[in-house]
Amino acid sequence: MLNMAGINVFRGETQVLWDVSLVVGEREKVAILGGNGAGKSTLLQSIMGILRPASGTIAFKGDSLVGKKPYQIIQLGLALVPEGRHIYKDMSVWENLEMGAYPRRGRKWMRETMVEVTSLFPFLRDRRDQSAGTLSGGEQQMLAIGRALMSRPEMLFVDELSLGLAPIVIKEIFRVLEGLSRRTTIMLVEQNVEQALKHSERAYILKSGRIDRSGPSLELANDPDIKKAYLGL
Amino acid sequence: MLPMALMNGLVMGVIYALAALGVSLVVGIMNVINFAHGEFYILAGYFSYLFADTLGLNPILSMSLAVGMVFLFGIVIEYTIIRPTYGNHMYSLILTFILSIVLQNAYLLIFGPYPKKPPGWVKGATNIFGDFCYGNQRLAALAAGTVLIVAVFLLIKKTWFGRMIRAASQDREMAELNGVNTALLNTFSFGLGCALAAAAGVVLAPVFPVTPTSGVPVALTAFVVVVLGGMGSMWGCVIGGLILGLVENLGAAFISTGYKHLFGFIILIVVLAVKPSGLFGSRET
Ligand SMILES: Nc1ncnc2c1ncn2[C@@H]1O[C@H](COP(=O)(O)OP(=O)(O)OP(=O)(O)O)[C@@H](O)[C@H]1O
Ligand SMILES: [Mg+2]
Repeated sequence: MLNMAGINVFRGETQVLWDVSLVVGEREKVAILGGNGAGKSTLLQSIMGILRPASGTIAFKGDSLVGKKPYQIIQLGLALVPEGRHIYKDMSVWENLEMGAYPRRGRKWMRETMVEVTSLFPFLRDRRDQSAGTLSGGEQQMLAIGRALMSRPEMLFVDELSLGLAPIVIKEIFRVLEGLSRRTTIMLVEQNVEQALKHSERAYILKSGRIDRSGPSLELANDPDIKKAYLGL
Repeated sequence: MLPMALMNGLVMGVIYALAALGVSLVVGIMNVINFAHGEFYILAGYFSYLFADTLGLNPILSMSLAVGMVFLFGIVIEYTIIRPTYGNHMYSLILTFILSIVLQNAYLLIFGPYPKKPPGWVKGATNIFGDFCYGNQRLAALAAGTVLIVAVFLLIKKTWFGRMIRAASQDREMAELNGVNTALLNTFSFGLGCALAAAAGVVLAPVFPVTPTSGVPVALTAFVVVVLGGMGSMWGCVIGGLILGLVENLGAAFISTGYKHLFGFIILIVVLAVKPSGLFGSRET
């Protein structure tokens, strides 16, 4: 579904990603792992068209994404829950969801999707007129996911889902994503290696902008090197 | 004298509010201060004069055409001189400042230094509260301005376009990730900002005729209103506009006409001393 081959990405003068290649199949759950500054968010921003790779190819269902703008890439059925949530704080919860539905098919199915999304996160309906900035961190993360789902994406990217959230909230969100994964391809980007390996089928590990390891999540979770480096065991 | 000054204050207040809404829209979404705002305001006055007086078209049609032309002109300006300055606010400041001077001189050349006045929409005067007679044209301007302000509120609060504007003003990159073509939105918003200045211009021109430089005080006041009301607040524009209109006219009536524009600045200084973010401003930036 998503094919990335040999991308090199710069931020200003410095190269952040080096020859990164990866493949995600339909309805697969893939995790991208790595420590601070490994280049995980940069990778997502390159896919979504916020950054343009200096070289390499990225294709979604055969369509090349390189050189397209974010607003064009969204129309192809990709959606990003960005690091830090980026909800519209001065708009109501409902308006945030409506903004998520702005892409063509989101608008077409807005009513139906609204029902689906509010059944995943029922508090969104109860708080619909509340200003989104007054939600708690966990609620804001759920709103950010709900907003991304409003565009009815075929592939969902979630950056740093667990950052700053209580374990019980993280668990709840992962449970919802688990349910979604039956019809949506999901790519999780996490520093929280343990959680991410638990909730994915396959994972890539980024280290200083290069793919260091990759393989089935179960295998990686039991790998002694990885246990030592990332799981603190 | 008091009721008269109050009515004049309301008329001017509504005009300031409209002009300020245009400034606020453009600042909010593009972070651009359009120094030529007042010249777009005047341009619409000249256009409606041309269409109605010279070509003899119906006043309402003339005004709509004038606003439409200024909207298009704004779009052309955004595309040609503002767009290349994205990311550098200083350039857009300087360029719009130059544009305002160029336009003032062009008006002088084309229309001459004498005031031009499009025909009024209505004649006569109405006796208000059995108290005094007030020009119908001014009453009509007050009504038209109010209707336009309500229309702007509905546009911004209730439509997709308005949601896009508010979203992009808060978080441009996220709006783009939600599928908004923010470059196109910029162009449109700039055009709309100019159109709001134009709307204020065509509404007021039959009352106060336009000259090449008569947009300057209106634009300056609009900037004051935006800061007074609080950056990014639409209610701030409306309340701030009304306060300025009223203070100027009451001050002129009871203290001195000579200091008319000074009163506004005094109010601004007082408000900012008490609440630096303005009347309705929440964010510090
Ligand atoms: N806006 C920016 N301008 C310049 N360099 C940046 C910018 N954002 C990130 N970087 C640099 O790019 C590198 C990769 O950053 P990136 O945000 O992709 O890492 P990350 O893996 O997402 O980290 P984290 O887990 O902390 O979110 C880092 O060295 C960072 O300092
Ligand atoms: Mg990151």
